[in-house]
Amino acid sequence: GPAMPLGMNKHGSRSTTSLPPDPTEIVRSKACSRRVKLNVGGLAHEVLWRTLDRLPRTRLGKLRDCNTHDSLMEICDDYNLEENEYFFDRHPGAFTSILNFYRTGKLHMMEEMCALSFSQELDYWGVDEIYLESCCQARYHQKKEQMNEELKREAETLREREGEEFDNTCCAEKRKKLWDLLEKPNSSVAAKILAIISIMFIVLSTIALSLNTLPELQGVDEFGQTTDNPQLAHVEAVCIAWFTMEYLLRFLSSPKKWKFFKGPLNAIDLLAILPYYVTIFLTESNKSVLQFQNVRRVVQIFRIMRILRILKLARHSTGLQSLGFTLRRSYNELGLLILFLAMGIMIFSSLVFFAEKDEDDTKFKSIPASFWWATITMTTVGYGDIYPKTLLGKIVGGLCCIAGVLVIALPIPIIVNNFSEFYKEQKRQEKAIKRREALERAKRNGSIVSMNMKDAFARSIELMDIVVEKNGESIAKKDKVQDNHLSPSKWKWTKRTLSETSSSKSFETKEQGSPEKARSSSSPQHLNVQQLEDMYNKMAKTQSQPNLNTKESSQSGKQKEELEMETLPGPMVPLLATRTDGIIDMRSMSSIDSFISCAAEFPDAGRFSHSPLTALPCKGGINVIQEQSRPEGSTARYVEMNPSSESSHRSAFFIESPKSSIKASNPLKLRSLKVNFMEEDTSTLVPASNVLRTYPDPLKSRGAAATATDTSLLSDRSLMSPETSIYTTASARTPTKSPEPQAAIAFNFHDAGIHKYIDADTDDEGQLMYDSSPPGNVSPKYNVANSGYLKQKDHVYRTEKNHLEAAALPTSPKLIGQNCIYSMEGITGRTQGNQETVRLENHISPEVHVLPGSGGHANTHDQSI
Amino acid sequence: IKMAADSRFPDVDTDGSEKSEEMEIVVNVGGVRQVFYGDNLNQYPETRLAELVNCLSGGYDSIFSLCDDYDPGKREFYFDRDPDAFKCIIDVYYFGEIHMKKGICPICFKNEMEFWKVDLKFLDDCCKAHLSEKKEELEEIARRVQLILDDLGVDASESRWKRCQKCIWKFLEKPESSCPARVIAVLSFLFILISSVVMCVGTIPDLQVVDAEGNRMEHPILDSIETACIGWFTMEYVLRLISSPNKLHFALSFMNIVDVLAILPFYVSLTLTHLGAKLMELSNVQQAVQALRIMRIARIFKLARHSSGLQTLTYALKRSFKELGLLLMYLAVGIFVFSALGYTMEQSHPETLFKSIPQSFWWAIITMTTVGYGDIYPKTTLGKLNAAISFLCGVIAIALPIHPIINNFVRYYNKQRVLETAAKHELELMELNSAEGRATGSRSELEDLSREGKDGPFYSSRIKVSHSDTFIHLLSEEKHYRTRLQSCK
Repeated sequence: GPAMPLGMNKHGSRSTTSLPPDPTEIVRSKACSRRVKLNVGGLAHEVLWRTLDRLPRTRLGKLRDCNTHDSLMEICDDYNLEENEYFFDRHPGAFTSILNFYRTGKLHMMEEMCALSFSQELDYWGVDEIYLESCCQARYHQKKEQMNEELKREAETLREREGEEFDNTCCAEKRKKLWDLLEKPNSSVAAKILAIISIMFIVLSTIALSLNTLPELQGVDEFGQTTDNPQLAHVEAVCIAWFTMEYLLRFLSSPKKWKFFKGPLNAIDLLAILPYYVTIFLTESNKSVLQFQNVRRVVQIFRIMRILRILKLARHSTGLQSLGFTLRRSYNELGLLILFLAMGIMIFSSLVFFAEKDEDDTKFKSIPASFWWATITMTTVGYGDIYPKTLLGKIVGGLCCIAGVLVIALPIPIIVNNFSEFYKEQKRQEKAIKRREALERAKRNGSIVSMNMKDAFARSIELMDIVVEKNGESIAKKDKVQDNHLSPSKWKWTKRTLSETSSSKSFETKEQGSPEKARSSSSPQHLNVQQLEDMYNKMAKTQSQPNLNTKESSQSGKQKEELEMETLPGPMVPLLATRTDGIIDMRSMSSIDSFISCAAEFPDAGRFSHSPLTALPCKGGINVIQEQSRPEGSTARYVEMNPSSESSHRSAFFIESPKSSIKASNPLKLRSLKVNFMEEDTSTLVPASNVLRTYPDPLKSRGAAATATDTSLLSDRSLMSPETSIYTTASARTPTKSPEPQAAIAFNFHDAGIHKYIDADTDDEGQLMYDSSPPGNVSPKYNVANSGYLKQKDHVYRTEKNHLEAAALPTSPKLIGQNCIYSMEGITGRTQGNQETVRLENHISPEVHVLPGSGGHANTHDQSI
Repeated sequence: IKMAADSRFPDVDTDGSEKSEEMEIVVNVGGVRQVFYGDNLNQYPETRLAELVNCLSGGYDSIFSLCDDYDPGKREFYFDRDPDAFKCIIDVYYFGEIHMKKGICPICFKNEMEFWKVDLKFLDDCCKAHLSEKKEELEEIARRVQLILDDLGVDASESRWKRCQKCIWKFLEKPESSCPARVIAVLSFLFILISSVVMCVGTIPDLQVVDAEGNRMEHPILDSIETACIGWFTMEYVLRLISSPNKLHFALSFMNIVDVLAILPFYVSLTLTHLGAKLMELSNVQQAVQALRIMRIARIFKLARHSSGLQTLTYALKRSFKELGLLLMYLAVGIFVFSALGYTMEQSHPETLFKSIPQSFWWAIITMTTVGYGDIYPKTTLGKLNAAISFLCGVIAIALPIHPIINNFVRYYNKQRVLETAAKHELELMELNSAEGRATGSRSELEDLSREGKDGPFYSSRIKVSHSDTFIHLLSEEKHYRTRLQSCK
């Protein structure tokens, strides 16, 4: 509505300057009208309060019972008491249908609405999808299933791509090369040539096989039996040698032997080779008894099996593969076709038998004998060896023709449909792979600007679910997981699609940069220490404006998980605080903490020559980082929290705060800080979504979780890439604006945010994992998962790192040198974490650094990407 | 809110005061305001808006019985309905016809039209097709739901005999209801297969025996198997007949007629061989028995009971009767034309195979369906040309009408699954609604009492258990409740 922005502004301005409205005020406003105005995404609706009361457990139903500012802000995004208007920042199209559900009790769905997006809206408004009317439900579920299937397939291909790991054994490099050469004809010219040679051998051997049966080319052995032509036998031997070599090389180079053995294409390969060897074995071992009929017959059978090698062509033709897949998928319809035919044959053969049996010299001697006639007639082949002669028989024959045409024609379109769908899907997948590659390329160049983060998140949720399912969870668990993400059947909006909330929230923050939002996300939770929380609360009280962020803190009591998500934009706070209030607000914990971590990145303190204080608190800062970084290493979900960290945190704050205030006073730096914080936000957000989303799972099924995250992390990565790239470009721009030190700060904040995030994250959830994995002792399961995860993302890291280095290089060569020193330190300083050392050697990253005296285990990783 | 009042009438403010005798009505539907004129609304006096105009003089009670809220200051009527559908529906006052907005579910729109008391006939034909399609779908779902509910409905109050009857019925007719029922279904399927195989194998001359009079008889082992199968079929049929709730309906249904046809020949031939010899000559009896043997084929159709694909086929064929007729007509015309042509063209050849036009019918059929046995074939050049053309025409004549049949088949085949899930969902929905209705019923009554003073007496009229749009009105309330209890157990 046009009136809305005005009202919003009024309200918004008031909220920053004055106290929130009194509960009595709210109650009065609600009581004065029987109706309420709901503004959803700019579209104004008017509805009776009692209509909303019909579903009291939903979001709108709760609106009426909310009489305080905090509880109201929990439910809606903004409100205006004078206008009696409540604002929700959601899709307006879906809301119309949902509001109609309140009015009529019937939930219909707009036809052009995307099913996935509608289900998200339903989740938000707290309406269960089960209420959807039958007329719309069919469409809804169809679309959703389709979507799920697509995502499943995508996840599968992703997993397949990841599955090819050459890590554990010797000469992995060479094996990988060999594998690529043999399995991926598109990977190089040599591989292509190899594939062509292979095809030629298949064709050659098939031709030889057929020529062998020509009587002119056959010889006669001593028993009077025909034998193979010697030249053709040589050709055959050469072909078989090639096939055998190919198969063995493939087998040796394959990363997973059992999976390779099970693969249908490889089974065909084996079947193409085996008959030859079996024949040789049989003839050699039974030379004397070869004249016996049955041995020869067995040999003959194996000879026929050689024809299977023509199926080897399937490896080189996607068309043949999709045909096979189609047949496998539509076995139901094939069965139907055969059933139809069988029934038709049965009926018509018995009819024609009764019609023809009295004829002299009839060929329809019995019903089984006339099966042949019925088959040939129904398939309209019509050899003419048997045909009816009586009038009655001819009538039956005519009907049989027509029925045959009908019966065969009916189920075939369904099979054709399956085929075309699969074919389309395959094409789509090829495109998707290309798109992903293009994205990666673009990410490297830092040239993508795309903001549909929410979609990416939604997709990754689904992917995640599917991957979890795939990993062999029990059905019950699967249901639960789905419950969380797809159909929260109950009203659990605090727990509702965490990632979605976070994404939208952080999204808003970045887009609007609105002070309220950013403030609201100032997070006490990430420290998770009771004292500190208390301290924060005190500070929050001393702050002159108890504004919207109270919403967040009120939530914190209820729901830790959500709070953790809210910490993500945390690093924004220092900037905003300094802008509005200056030093006083800088005392908010998160800001201090981030500055501590910032300082901790520079134990040299050479960088902060203008702040003499840095040298002093440096040690404390290091400690903090140490404590934070340890859990951070536990992406594989084991956490160790040293109780001593609390005190170190605390001391660090007080020591550090003056320094941060000094920094804040520098306006030039602030500007650069702003950019860097932004970057940090997203970079933290990425791992955040990965890690957090998996948390509901480990609680249910720890075993599956480790593997599940691996894939989800990776899939998320590819989906997330556009967003990260925005911010990396932002950072790339920074050096031009700001002098050298600021560029360095950018990097350090980058890290800091992550430490903090991980810290916050692992505090709650990680503790739940304690019992399963004792601190300091990585259980083998997690170990494996961790290494796999790290390996998988090597390339991603590398690209990102390149980028970061590129950004840093022009401005601060010193910085890189320093980082290198750190990484060296990391290698030397850690003796126990052998696994991490391996990784470090793989790519020495500027961000990896470990400080001696930390206890050694669990080191800092660059989670930033 | 200064929502756009009504862009169609920009002169509302200027003319409104002058034409004071003309009734002006401000309607607010879910936040969208519209201004109407009384005479405009009165074109359709049965609609809700027209009633609103007429009852203005009737006081608040009558006003509140029609709308949800009334603002005496602004003289604004408030309706708590969907504004989008309303915008479409008011077209009837201006254009006399309604077009559905794209995207709105037709069923939802129909309900809105019912609320505004606008007759469905004002909906334009272009949108009606959509609505009727959806309606059909819903009816189908409702039918399925009804079936499922019927299965569930075992009443403790019924006599033991009735309960027993229901039990048997479920046992025989619903293989998915329990494990033994499934076993029975599989057994029955096997019996059909065995009896069909026996029927076929029995005709092989090597397996037949010659009786005293030189007649060929079926092998005694096969005969006994046949008897056992027939015994099973008979028992099955009788049990079904006894347990069926509606005997006449049962006896006339297609599948059961097939069952009777599968059993009857055996008994008829039995009685004929034992009694018939006294009534007529032996040869006649034997001929009759032979003729009855053909009717054994009917048992193959019994398979349809066990295959949903076959049922779909019969359904599709039933639905595409017209197309089938078309197919046959095309073929018949083609056969007539080409056999006549072939006959005349082959007349010149001395050793022609086309002896008469009826005889060349056979040739035409075999050619047009591209079977081509080769027992009759043209020998002259002209005849061969004719054969080529007839073959082409045959392909076209078959391919054209077959397409809609295939379409029908594929549609029903695909719909089957969707409807299945929809029916299940509908059941869940009904259960949910009834449970909620009962749960909230008492509460809402209390609230009614407490808010009566504030909101007025009309409040309670709106709150009631809302059923889904597919809700079957046949279901009485208590039955509904009963099924819910059943499923809760």
